[in-house]
Amino acid sequence: MTEKIKIDFEKTLKNSAFSEKDIEFKMKYLNKFIESGLPNRKLENWKFSDLSQIIQKNIGELSFYNDYSIQNKVDTSIFVDGLEHNKIIFINGRVEKIDFSYEDHNKVKIDDHFEFRAESDNNNSLLSLNNAFTNKCFRITIKKDYSLKKPLVIYHTTNNKIKSKNINLKLEFELEQNSSLRIIDLLKDESVNNFINIFYNFNLKENAILKNYKIDKILNKNIRYLFNNIEQQSNSVSETFILSSGSNFSKNEVNCNLNGEYSSAFVNGIFSLDNEQQHEIRTIINHLVENTKSYQLIKSVLGKNAKSAYQGKIFVDSKAQKTDGYQLSKAILLDETSEFNAKPELEIYADDVKCSHGSASGSLDENTIFYLMSRGLNYKQSKELLINGFLLDVIEKITDPEIKNLVKNMIGFKE
Amino acid sequence: MDTREKNIEQLKDYKYGFSTEIENIRAPKGLNEDVIKFISNIKKEPKWMLDFRLNAFERFKKLKEPDWQKPKYPKINYQDLYYYSAPKSVSDKPKNLDELDPKLLETYKKLGIPLQEQARLNGIAVDAVFDSVSVATTFKDELTKHGIIFCSMSEAIQKYPDLVKKYLGTVIPTTDHFFATLNSAVFTDGSFVYIPEGIKCPMELSTYFRINASETGQFERTLIIADKGSYVSYLEGCTAPMRDENQLHAANVELIALDDAEIKYSTVQNWYPGDENGKGGIYNFVTKRGLCKGKNSKISWTQVETGSAITWKYPSCILKGDNSIGEFYSIAITNNHQKADTGTKMIHLGKNTKSKIISKGISAGFSDMTYRGLVDINSKAKNSSNYTQCDSLLMGNKCGAHTVPYIKNKNYDSNIAHEATTSKISEEQLHYCQQRGLNPEEAVGLIVNGFCKEVLQQLPMEFAVEAQKLVGISLEGSVG
Amino acid sequence: MLKINNLNANIDNKSILKDFSLNINPGEVHAIMGPNGSGKSTLSNILSGKKGYEISGEVLFENKNLFELETQERAHKGIFLAFQYPLEIPGVNTNIFLKTSLNAIRKANGEKELDAIEFLKLVKEKSKELKFDEEKLNRQLNVGFSGGEKKKNEILQMSMLSPKLSILDETDSGLDIDALKVVSEGVNSLRNKNNSFLIITHYQRLLDYIKPDFVHVLMNGKIIKSGGPELALELEKKGYENFN
Repeated sequence: MTEKIKIDFEKTLKNSAFSEKDIEFKMKYLNKFIESGLPNRKLENWKFSDLSQIIQKNIGELSFYNDYSIQNKVDTSIFVDGLEHNKIIFINGRVEKIDFSYEDHNKVKIDDHFEFRAESDNNNSLLSLNNAFTNKCFRITIKKDYSLKKPLVIYHTTNNKIKSKNINLKLEFELEQNSSLRIIDLLKDESVNNFINIFYNFNLKENAILKNYKIDKILNKNIRYLFNNIEQQSNSVSETFILSSGSNFSKNEVNCNLNGEYSSAFVNGIFSLDNEQQHEIRTIINHLVENTKSYQLIKSVLGKNAKSAYQGKIFVDSKAQKTDGYQLSKAILLDETSEFNAKPELEIYADDVKCSHGSASGSLDENTIFYLMSRGLNYKQSKELLINGFLLDVIEKITDPEIKNLVKNMIGFKE
Repeated sequence: MDTREKNIEQLKDYKYGFSTEIENIRAPKGLNEDVIKFISNIKKEPKWMLDFRLNAFERFKKLKEPDWQKPKYPKINYQDLYYYSAPKSVSDKPKNLDELDPKLLETYKKLGIPLQEQARLNGIAVDAVFDSVSVATTFKDELTKHGIIFCSMSEAIQKYPDLVKKYLGTVIPTTDHFFATLNSAVFTDGSFVYIPEGIKCPMELSTYFRINASETGQFERTLIIADKGSYVSYLEGCTAPMRDENQLHAANVELIALDDAEIKYSTVQNWYPGDENGKGGIYNFVTKRGLCKGKNSKISWTQVETGSAITWKYPSCILKGDNSIGEFYSIAITNNHQKADTGTKMIHLGKNTKSKIISKGISAGFSDMTYRGLVDINSKAKNSSNYTQCDSLLMGNKCGAHTVPYIKNKNYDSNIAHEATTSKISEEQLHYCQQRGLNPEEAVGLIVNGFCKEVLQQLPMEFAVEAQKLVGISLEGSVG
Repeated sequence: MLKINNLNANIDNKSILKDFSLNINPGEVHAIMGPNGSGKSTLSNILSGKKGYEISGEVLFENKNLFELETQERAHKGIFLAFQYPLEIPGVNTNIFLKTSLNAIRKANGEKELDAIEFLKLVKEKSKELKFDEEKLNRQLNVGFSGGEKKKNEILQMSMLSPKLSILDETDSGLDIDALKVVSEGVNSLRNKNNSFLIITHYQRLLDYIKPDFVHVLMNGKIIKSGGPELALELEKKGYENFN
């Protein structure tokens, strides 16, 4: 891989207009990535899924070079119906459109090229890869006291022009005091066998509210990694919802630093997987000051050869008295070949805290199915009813009613 | 200072901290083939046993010391340790207690483990291990009547080579991890138990481990085999003198339960924890593993871990036989600068296997406590289940409590349920108890014992009382 | 027996009790009535030795300065508080708790500690008197007890420990009429010329069953009026708001 990546990197530099400073930055991270390579199961974080092997098996050799000079045509038929929204459209990793036409333009600032920021490095080799190859990094700032009128839908689309590619995206969101933002990431792929590596950084100032919804629903053969870093000042709220269902492999990471008092973070997720799919959610919630709160609820429904993993960590600093932290993960295994893994972890250094976690996994209750069937439902109906009931309370956690309905419709929940 | 305070002061001191002046035979310092041959030779071991050791040593040389655990420790120089130390008087094992060095008898008496006939603990047979060797086993005749073998490992290698050969290393192979492999190479003594088919062992069997010599590692090996339909309850206790240096204790314990057999293994670990500034104390890096080999077999681990500078161990069950049951009940208490990383592994391989984990962790002072556990239900382990409950209690905000469970379910008609909580003793609870006349220490002791109740209940009666006291003593000085 | 002189109590710079004075002689039953937030619970907390208050003034119990005594030492001297919200202590058997507590107090007073048999005999006797379900003595302390059971358990503890001064902090709240009767009978059976009671309550109804010798009305941290049992009835009729 090393030779190939170096060649692709040279090619990328040649065809772009990076400043010298940018190039220096990118070189540094390229070397860092080459040193550590793709993550594998030897790393604690990748214990349940070996990305290096998964890429090897599903893609083979990756190509890191992408031609961003050619504009792609935006297919408007993919737009979400019945929901007025702002848009960012990625096609094959290229930003084709940024549209905030519903908003006051003085209140939303878009920087299309700002100096790449070397984030607090956590030895994440995928971040190094991302830093080395990201074409453009956008920063979107929501000004003080402004709440976006409409949600922002980020379309992640790919088409069959790309194959065996590595695509790197990066977005930064700055939510100033008292501002609020709703984001929906919508994945739509027509390509196969690509590795898509996405980094989001959210910076929530005092009283800011972020609603962060990720919908991976449409079946596709891609491998996806999405990292969310969320920094929170006092009284800010972040809500992350992940529907993890479409991609062949997907791993969502949420790293949340509760830096200000009375800030709170919610992470809820659904894995609905079948046919060899393998998905993972990993969260780290760092309670760093007093009176912060986090809540996590993750549910899995797993079919044939499907595998899900939830690694959730609550960290409580010795200063973070009165922390309230909660995690619950539940899984239903539908097939003898399905597998559920969990590592719900607590690391606590303060004594006046309320922290707990729970995890439960098992099969559908045959007695309940029997009961439903005795009331006239067939087996399939009974099963679906139970699964929907199982998943419903995660969806009910979505606090935005409009988006809650959207998600319900997508999954096929009937009201 | 009133009398009660004085009593508490006395309790705070580690009362097993004395050492015995006794003449020793030691292997030369360091770890190499010659030392292993020395150990094997002094024990007059057969060749297969020496080969077992040398094999392990070959393997050991290729292994790297693990470093994933939470409590870190300064690098151990394995060449700077004595791997064999025995009181001179027992180098030829005395035939009866009259021949035993009075100093040894006195030591065990001081520890509350009288070995003499007239003063023996009621209903408990004791094997006393002093540094590297077993010095005495009580109630031998009584046990022999039932066909039960309870003796030192060295004796078993001589007298029951077929049993030892058949089972030794089958649960913890010589190719296992760093410390287990080291033990396979250099183990010195330990207990051997064989319960014949259909026999319910009429008394508690107990080994009492004592590290006395300085600069000595203790590497004992225990092997317990419960044949078909048999039952045994086994208890292990440990103490060590107070020394400024850290001492390594890397034992291997293997349990094998055949069809319908049950083994109950309880540990009250009270190794010297170091002083209140964290100087000295035992590194307790022990490998304990039980194999439920036969159908309907059951292995139950109960541990009360209050001592050691660092405790790093995961008593585990491999549930191979159909319908077999594994249990793990644990109380771990760390105070001052103690550290613990402990928990269990439940590996479900057979059908209808069940496991239960109840873990209670209490950290006080500057200490750090981690529960780490694995529940792994294999795809063939149909209709299996696990229930895990991990509760942590923190006293003060200079200590840490961590829960790291790994849960793997590969079987669709098996159930895993895991619950964990972290809490503290509330001011209100303390006030309530004090209003009823208890002093703060008594109040904390009472509340903590209540917190640990589900585990304390699992201990054999005779030791439950002792353990309850230990729980209270370990936390002295942690309130107020 | 108990002399409170100009007691002031603050919490977080908020003044709760202001120049509060009260004198209780042996054998007397005093009732303190007051609306929510008048300082009733603060009084019982301070008398039992709960930390967290800034205190000035003087409280003497049998002529000894109460503030020099730790909570448990006050219990040893014979002060008992029936908590408004009795605490749950998981894993601790009620019987064992009672025995530990009783013996701690006996020991402190130079009396012989009771052995298991003597204790069981006593607890059986007392449970019977108070109609306390003996089965509950083998359960974890207050865990899973109903509100009424918890309060009855407090009275059982009081009866077992035979204190000189019993402070009942809103013991009647959350009790149905039957439980109220049982609790009152328990208190009445302990009444004699040596034992005193301080009954803190919001409502008058408990005083139908336990006849107080004195009634004090507490408002904003001060006793605004003292009198005999008739004062409670007057208060009940008028309500706190119009009482002033």
